[in-house]
Amino acid sequence: MNEREDELFELELLRLKPAEPPADFLARLTAARPMAHSLPTIGQITAPPDRWQLLLRWLAPAAVAAVIAAAWFAGQPGPVSPATSLQAASPSGTNQVEIDRQLVSTFDAVAELPGGEPVRFRCREWVDDVTVRNTKQGVEVEQREPRLEVVPIRFETY
Amino acid sequence: MDESPTQADWRRWLEDHAPRFLLFARHKARSEADAQDLVQEAVIEAWRRQGDGSPPPLPLVFATLRRRAIDLARSEDRRAGREQAAMEPAESWFDAGVEDRELKQSIQHALSRLPERYREVVTLKIWGGLTFAAIADVLEIPANTAASRYRHGLAELRKLAKTVLT
Repeated sequence: MNEREDELFELELLRLKPAEPPADFLARLTAARPMAHSLPTIGQITAPPDRWQLLLRWLAPAAVAAVIAAAWFAGQPGPVSPATSLQAASPSGTNQVEIDRQLVSTFDAVAELPGGEPVRFRCREWVDDVTVRNTKQGVEVEQREPRLEVVPIRFETY
Repeated sequence: MDESPTQADWRRWLEDHAPRFLLFARHKARSEADAQDLVQEAVIEAWRRQGDGSPPPLPLVFATLRRRAIDLARSEDRRAGREQAAMEPAESWFDAGVEDRELKQSIQHALSRLPERYREVVTLKIWGGLTFAAIADVLEIPANTAASRYRHGLAELRKLAKTVLT
């Protein structure tokens, strides 16, 4: 009897469809389409001589973070120097600068310290939308700059 | 070779699957904003992990979403004064016609009171469209346990829904 009731109940549940996401959220998701670079994987760091272990304990995560940042920037189109745009717009008068930061995505990478202790790197991709306006000259320059933020996090904090 | 999905593929995939991801995330998060952030992080990470431009399998997305939710819950638990109880759903979890409106409300209410170990299995099976084997992978439990939790969860949900209706 109970099994039959459960089956009927299961059919009722299947009639319900998950609600459509809010339109603004769907638009945000659509805009966050993943671009062509895969999640970096980091191999184990080779253990150094003992006397260097203490120093490398701190240098290793920094080096890995630098490698991640370099790999990510290599995949980005060449940026135009904002200073150049600024100079073009500012022979005279006052510049107004607006910076709009948009979080595009986040991902994690994991490495091991020489002592075997795992460290997680929380990586966030941002797009900085920089707009420079010179109202006196009527010039407006807009520049979109991708940026990668890498923060090492010890596993014990999780 | 371009390993990014085309805008059309990406949009179509989101339209097909975002509702089920958001439903699962709403059960895990303490606010609608957190649920939406979890979905965004998980789908981007799962596509990246897939790495070849093809859509990631649904169990991978659900597993990523669950891990991110656990990370978020742990970090939030450290903050004093945060709400302890599960979020009372403010958003509608389901779309339903007029004739199913009462059913929708009772199920949403009952689901929010169902123990999490049952709720996640029932949600993944009914609305996530996963098999017990896939659910087992997502939740890191044996497939038999997933099937057993599903049966118990369904019975418990039915009781809770009946209580709401009477």
